[in-house]
Amino acid sequence: MLSYILRRLLGVIPVMVVVGVFVFSLLHLAPGDPAAIIAGDNATEANIARIRANLGLDRPLLEQFGKWTWATLQGDLGVSMFSNVPVTQLVQQRMGPTFSLAFTTMLVAVVIAITLGVLAAWKSGSLLDRAVMGLAVTGFSVPVFVVGYIMVYFIALQWRWLPVQGYTPMSEGLWPWLRHLILPSFALGLAYVALIARITRASMLEVLAEDYIRTASAKGVATLPMLLRHALKNAAVPIITVIGIGVALLISGVVITESVFNIPGIGRLVVDAISRRDYPIIQGVMIIFAAIYVLINLAVDISYSFLDPRIRYS
Amino acid sequence: MTSSRRSVLKAGAAAAALTGIGAPHVARAQQKPPRQVRMVPHGDLNVLDPIWTTQNMAAYHGAMMYDTLFGIDANFNPQPQMVGKTDISADRKTYTFELRPGLKWHDGTDVTARDCVASIRRWQARDGAGQHLFERVADTPVVDAKTFRIVLKEPYGLLIDALAKTSTPLCVMMKAEIAATDPNTQITKHIGSGPFKFIESEYRPGSRVVYERNPDYVPRSEPASGIAGGKRVLLDKVIWDIIPDAQTAASALMAGEVDFFEVPPIDILPTLMAAPGMKTEVLSKLGNVGQVRLNHLHPPFNNLAARKAAQLAINQEDIQRAAVGNPNYYRTCGSHFTCGSAMGVEDGSEALMLKAPMAERQAKARELLKQSGYDGKPIVLLHATNIHVMNQTMLVVAQQLRQVGFNVQLASTDWGAVVTRRSNQNPPDQGGWNVFYTWSGGNATASPISLFAHAAIGKKAWFGWPENADIEKMRTEWAYAPNLEARKGVTSRINKTMMDYVHDVKTGQWVQPAVYRGDRIRGLLAVPEVVAWWNVERYA
Repeated sequence: MLSYILRRLLGVIPVMVVVGVFVFSLLHLAPGDPAAIIAGDNATEANIARIRANLGLDRPLLEQFGKWTWATLQGDLGVSMFSNVPVTQLVQQRMGPTFSLAFTTMLVAVVIAITLGVLAAWKSGSLLDRAVMGLAVTGFSVPVFVVGYIMVYFIALQWRWLPVQGYTPMSEGLWPWLRHLILPSFALGLAYVALIARITRASMLEVLAEDYIRTASAKGVATLPMLLRHALKNAAVPIITVIGIGVALLISGVVITESVFNIPGIGRLVVDAISRRDYPIIQGVMIIFAAIYVLINLAVDISYSFLDPRIRYS
Repeated sequence: MTSSRRSVLKAGAAAAALTGIGAPHVARAQQKPPRQVRMVPHGDLNVLDPIWTTQNMAAYHGAMMYDTLFGIDANFNPQPQMVGKTDISADRKTYTFELRPGLKWHDGTDVTARDCVASIRRWQARDGAGQHLFERVADTPVVDAKTFRIVLKEPYGLLIDALAKTSTPLCVMMKAEIAATDPNTQITKHIGSGPFKFIESEYRPGSRVVYERNPDYVPRSEPASGIAGGKRVLLDKVIWDIIPDAQTAASALMAGEVDFFEVPPIDILPTLMAAPGMKTEVLSKLGNVGQVRLNHLHPPFNNLAARKAAQLAINQEDIQRAAVGNPNYYRTCGSHFTCGSAMGVEDGSEALMLKAPMAERQAKARELLKQSGYDGKPIVLLHATNIHVMNQTMLVVAQQLRQVGFNVQLASTDWGAVVTRRSNQNPPDQGGWNVFYTWSGGNATASPISLFAHAAIGKKAWFGWPENADIEKMRTEWAYAPNLEARKGVTSRINKTMMDYVHDVKTGQWVQPAVYRGDRIRGLLAVPEVVAWWNVERYA
């Protein structure tokens, strides 16, 4: 197992190299000039050219790539061309909100979805099953910003139960932190509830049809222990896979939710950086995202062996 | 029964009193409102050097934490700000400035004349009006710690106007060692002398900017007016919340989470104003002036007849209706120098403002296009889709040009790509372009000198590269005009020439109303192109 983990971790390196080359090339080949954006609308071409030279953007592309790669290997992701703030500092500032949102969203989604999925499988074909599947279709179909705006309108504006927007770090108190995350977590979580509930139901239906479940039932095992201990544990591998993918998607793909609820997370950092061509931020965050994806996939793979003893890595 | 209900209520009230329920409300009612406001500005402050960039947000930041030697008042007249005494020599070539007492940097040291000279020199390198001024400056000697001079080669009437301008980049004063930074490199230390201190430790690019009151700031004795007069700070803290989504910002304002929303979309104004406590106000009275830039270097717009065809095809009213919508906030305008400003003359704008039916205008435009020899080759319109006004305007312009016979090809992209491609002087099929759209602040546009986009110096001009010696001669003449009336006379001639030559095509003017919690704050100042937070009081 240890050698497997080490091999997988070493495998991160070529992935990083490919991501690095790809992101750098794509960014520099795409139209857009940060110097022109920095200089502003009233700047002359001479001003823009001087800013470009001072930022080193007039140097050959290979030289720029070499410098960036060397710095990245030393753990230096550079500084924002605009704010002069180090990329690592910007990412640190934004990780808290994004991880908090991803965590609470997944918590909401997993608790609700697994409960609904198990119940739907247990009462397969019933009204409950159809209601859960109906909810799943709705969750998939309604865009997150629509759900978000509706929730904001009723819960925050009409009833004043929760804030409309913003983020408070956990260091300022658990409740202030949580109250800013409830609405976005539910809005964002709806799609994941739908996804995980469907997978849970499908997986559980398969397991519930197995002989050992019938045997357990015949031996008089109570419904709840049978569903949770015997069926759910054996149905967990595909569910964990989906949750793992969901976590990775959440960390990198919550920009709409972050915008609707004004959460200063990684998604907004990247979108803002792309719109003004702030290369060091885009490159740095992409490298970090790639590493997170690889590590989450590794964690998911490792979790399989704990859930299913038949799975062994060597 | 009645007595029983009363006793229950009494018991409840007693229990509440004992347990403290309701006490926070009482306490809250007795508390003074926090001396703090939260503003949602139009964009993010991602550059902290108001000279290095000419982005408007950096100018806002500059006005908060730095101070200026002069400032323009609400009537657009320059007034002294950091300067206490100005002396102009009899030959009008030497200006002596003495700083007023009590000026201190945020680190506690005194503001000196040396700081001011270094700051002016850095600013002029990035400012159109500053460059025009410095072509005529012989020297900037420091006389003593509080006094410096600007010595001109020849009399120049716009010196104080240039130092007082509120359009970006503002001529803000920095410490000499900071102002020594190359103007094309961003400063890294942020020490101002203005009414607010920038709190760098709380700065979160893309999210939050925090300013606190500068307790050492000594305001002038005059009442605040425009960016001039006494900058009395009545707030302890000003927070800029960067909320990119307009609907979220509007909801936050209605919920009372923020106090001021600078650029609410005009279509949601009725919803916002229906909420209790809201007040709307146009703070930048001259608003913005839109312009379609035609590329003078390549066919078809290197031909005057083709440019005149485009001028006739473009209908300001249709554009403004699509881009702004509410006629209370826009107007058509036949001036290159901002209608409503002192220079807002409309001489020579007959073709642009022609009241004839569109069909008639279009027929004339088709005739002109035929005369130009246009061969039907596609013309490339740079179309920024991520900015509402730009997106809407360019869609209408494209259709208007199509209707008179231009073969239009929209190059749809984001503004970041437009600002790069617009600088390309190659032909459109080699990465260049034919048409793009932008706007500038009405205050900056009102001066033939301040706005570099007015220049007509060919390949060294602003994007579009118009070339017309008469316009350039008159711009210089304007700068030397001895008084306002004389300037107006010159402006009238410049406007006519620019219209005849079709330097660019103006698409009309609009103002942006801000919405704020009138039930909490008062005292906002009408300052062109900057949001000022001095003089503002939080009263509830």
